[in-house]
Amino acid sequence: MSSHSIAFLVALVLSILIVLLIDRLLRHGLQGLLEETVSLPAATEFYLRAFVIVLVFVAIGAIIGTSFDLKDGARFMEYVWAIASLLKEVCQNVLVVLLVYVGLITVLIAALRRRQ
Amino acid sequence: MSNEHYLIVSYFGVGLVSLCLGIVVYRVLRGPFAAIAEAAIGRLRSRVLTRALGAFMTLAAALGFLSVTYTEKGCVNYEQVVKKRDYLIRANQQQLHRSGDWIVSAVFLWCVVVLICLLVPRCAQANRRDRV
Repeated sequence: MSSHSIAFLVALVLSILIVLLIDRLLRHGLQGLLEETVSLPAATEFYLRAFVIVLVFVAIGAIIGTSFDLKDGARFMEYVWAIASLLKEVCQNVLVVLLVYVGLITVLIAALRRRQ
Repeated sequence: MSNEHYLIVSYFGVGLVSLCLGIVVYRVLRGPFAAIAEAAIGRLRSRVLTRALGAFMTLAAALGFLSVTYTEKGCVNYEQVVKKRDYLIRANQQQLHRSGDWIVSAVFLWCVVVLICLLVPRCAQANRRDRV
């Protein structure tokens, strides 16, 4: 396996870990909030599944869509910088998605609470 | 494997993978979405919406895949395209990336549809209450 492939796999694993961490941090609170607001279990399930799908696609998409600009025989730290640059893309995209999702949930809560 | 052979295999392979991604996302969301739609607009109409979700996800994935051009809108000819393996791999990565982006946009759009589905019965209830 070439060093490029190893660097790619490391970046992929790290981005999956980021996704899992965010999901673990937010899932419980988000689930409680949605259950309280929508009072329809299917809707809670839908929004939670949509959340995970969006996070996974965005994180893996950022890894796949960005290329390593490394020459053969690059030094160790150049690989580290390349991985860091990929992870920056992942974090940036995840942040944008989280912002959109938060906006959506805010609209959902505002609209449903007003009706209640 | 020659580059031309790789191009043919990878093009159809990645196309299939993109479509499968769309179908997988549809299968994941179908259960809860069908229940929401049924609660909001009844069983018969909910079927139409659920099928629309499937069509939308698959089309979004296909659109992402198809939006990548190998010839860069006519700037590069076929011989130049098949000359470099790196370029072909890069194009495959772009196809998967765009498919993912389109699927994410489609999921957000359907989140809004669900929001509307949740609001419809409550509005109806509120109207009924106002009349009484």
